[in-house]
Amino acid sequence: MTPDGRTPVVVVTGFLGSGKTTLVNQLVKRQGDSLVIVNEFGEIPVDHLLVEASTEKTVALPNGCLCCHLRGDLEETLIGAAMRRRRGEIAGFDRVIVETSGLADPGPVAQTLYADPALARDFKLGPIVTVVDAADFEARKVSREIARAQIVAADVVVLSKVDRAGDAASIEAEVRELNSTVACIRAEFGNVNPAALLNIKPGTDHVFSPARHNDAIRSFALRFDQPVRRELLQRFLSTLVDLRGADLLRVKGFVPVEEGLVAVQGVRHVFDRLRPVSPSQAGAEPVLVFITHRIGHAEVQGLWAAMRQLGQGL
Amino acid sequence: MFLNMKLLAQHTLNGFGGMGEGMSMQLARDGRRVLWLAHESAPKNFTAVDVSDPRAPKVIVQTDLPHAQMRSNSLEVAGDLMAVAYQVTRLGLKPAGFELFDISTPEKPKSISSFDASGPHSRGCHQLWFVDGKTVHMACADPELKPRDPKDDQVYRIVDVANPSKPVAVGRWHLPGTMDGDDAPPPKRLPAKFDAGFRAHNTNVYPERPDRCYLAYIDGGVMVMDIADRARPKMLSHWTNSPPYNGFNHTVLPLFGRGLLVVSDECVQDNGADWPKLVWMLDARDETNLVSVSTLPAPPVDVFRTKGGRFGAHNLHENPPVPGAWRSEDIVVGTFFNAGVRAYDVSDPYSPREIAYYVPPSPENSKTGQIQLNDVFVDDRGIVFTVDRGGGGLYILEMNV
Repeated sequence: MTPDGRTPVVVVTGFLGSGKTTLVNQLVKRQGDSLVIVNEFGEIPVDHLLVEASTEKTVALPNGCLCCHLRGDLEETLIGAAMRRRRGEIAGFDRVIVETSGLADPGPVAQTLYADPALARDFKLGPIVTVVDAADFEARKVSREIARAQIVAADVVVLSKVDRAGDAASIEAEVRELNSTVACIRAEFGNVNPAALLNIKPGTDHVFSPARHNDAIRSFALRFDQPVRRELLQRFLSTLVDLRGADLLRVKGFVPVEEGLVAVQGVRHVFDRLRPVSPSQAGAEPVLVFITHRIGHAEVQGLWAAMRQLGQGL
Repeated sequence: MFLNMKLLAQHTLNGFGGMGEGMSMQLARDGRRVLWLAHESAPKNFTAVDVSDPRAPKVIVQTDLPHAQMRSNSLEVAGDLMAVAYQVTRLGLKPAGFELFDISTPEKPKSISSFDASGPHSRGCHQLWFVDGKTVHMACADPELKPRDPKDDQVYRIVDVANPSKPVAVGRWHLPGTMDGDDAPPPKRLPAKFDAGFRAHNTNVYPERPDRCYLAYIDGGVMVMDIADRARPKMLSHWTNSPPYNGFNHTVLPLFGRGLLVVSDECVQDNGADWPKLVWMLDARDETNLVSVSTLPAPPVDVFRTKGGRFGAHNLHENPPVPGAWRSEDIVVGTFFNAGVRAYDVSDPYSPREIAYYVPPSPENSKTGQIQLNDVFVDDRGIVFTVDRGGGGLYILEMNV
């Protein structure tokens, strides 16, 4: 168990008009000490004008979608913010909230935080929060793949505008069909308990319900009752990435190795390095959750079993 | 400026907020947490603050020194006993040594006894360590010794206080060559602008190794001392960084489970004149062969060095083995004067990371115009207490790492 003083980066995603900005405003107002990074898509950057937080701690990344060509800008913004904070040039902040454009797949933001060692020294991925307009779920069918990617990547789904939704329960069921591990929070006018939302750790805090299959999206869990060899775990993950990296939509959880519990996090072909858990995660369940595109539980379980057996002589 | 530390409260201690390097917590019999604080200079001796509610600290007693040519600077609490160090500003003055108090009723500290170390070559006691209720380990002059250089008067001394009303000196050690009559030649002194003396500073002894003292000796480096025979402490190993560095080794904090020593320097000059003053990680798996493996990342030097006042390392939270104190082998917390209080993850000793800091704004009555955080104590709730050397008093912080 090691201390972890890195600043969490909370990613808030969701379609245009779903209520992201309202939610970010609520989080900043009620939780404070956040640096807000706003990413607009389109010629007129308006979203950051709607974020009512102190402007000195709101940074706009103009012209582009985070998942496409702005990863470099995000890296630069975050590293610059950490440097300026340390030098006292900007006010301190305890968390970063990145509000993505409506069309962003949040996966690459997670990949950025995993893959850049300089960034990962000061920052860590916080919860990915996807805002789903409960009143207008049908509209998401227009950009079906992005909508799915946003829900699949989420640690928390905030169902917004439930006051206007006819049947919020059925929308929640549709969300869970894509991501059975996600925590769902219902919000009216962006009102959610920020502590409950921001304190959800990326991983498997919430109850993992049995896998239910969408036509292509699968979710399942591997349980680890005994400590495994770290090297074997690393090879298992590498093999999965080599074979089907593009179809590993989200992998997250905790695995016991000889020296203790490690956190595993990955999005598609990019994984965070295996990190000893922080004190707040010490009691986590030893479970690895997979959300995949057309990869089943049996195949992954089979690969792990085979590698364990073959790896005994290593 | 902050990272993972939040201010819960500040208390300027009735206008006497210039604090030294004595911070110790008492878990009082009635359940209160009382933080005892030594003052940097006259007129105040010590102050007790009820910090049971860290958001609402209350001063419960504040005492005066007998005269202005002295300071208390250091104190330690063990149960209902408190030892307070007395150092005088001119050789020969009294009281020089330490005083023991019964603090079973925190509002009414009662003097039990005094240990007199005054003499023609003595400034008395600068710092003491008292955690077992039976023994005081301290940096204090011994009137039987005559230093070759007056700056070298304070040696490592052991005093048995098992009977608190009759303290008895039982052992001492000094760096060979520093006293009249020594066979060894005098040690080579640092350049005059950095010469702070070959004398003891922190004298830490822990229950994990009651036969060891982790001794910092200002310009003389640091030593692991064998004190199995308290009457005759022996140096087992010696590590120094000066020269080429600028001396003033202050604290040796052992991380027993990890085979590490954390060594802090002390900055003693304003505006970075004695920079660099660092915190060093030593590999002590072989206690007879101390090896430096890294230093804690310094605060941004260009931001702080010439900002005003002192800038650089000073006190560490020393994992005191007493009820109410936080103990960690992975996180080191220290004060850096104008660069505030800082916490480091040393789980990888080759690559320590800064994980938290808090730099308060300059207090209103600061002589240097800057905060000068001097000492730190962390309690077992994870609450960080730190004091300003100027006038800011006590700052109480929550650390989230």
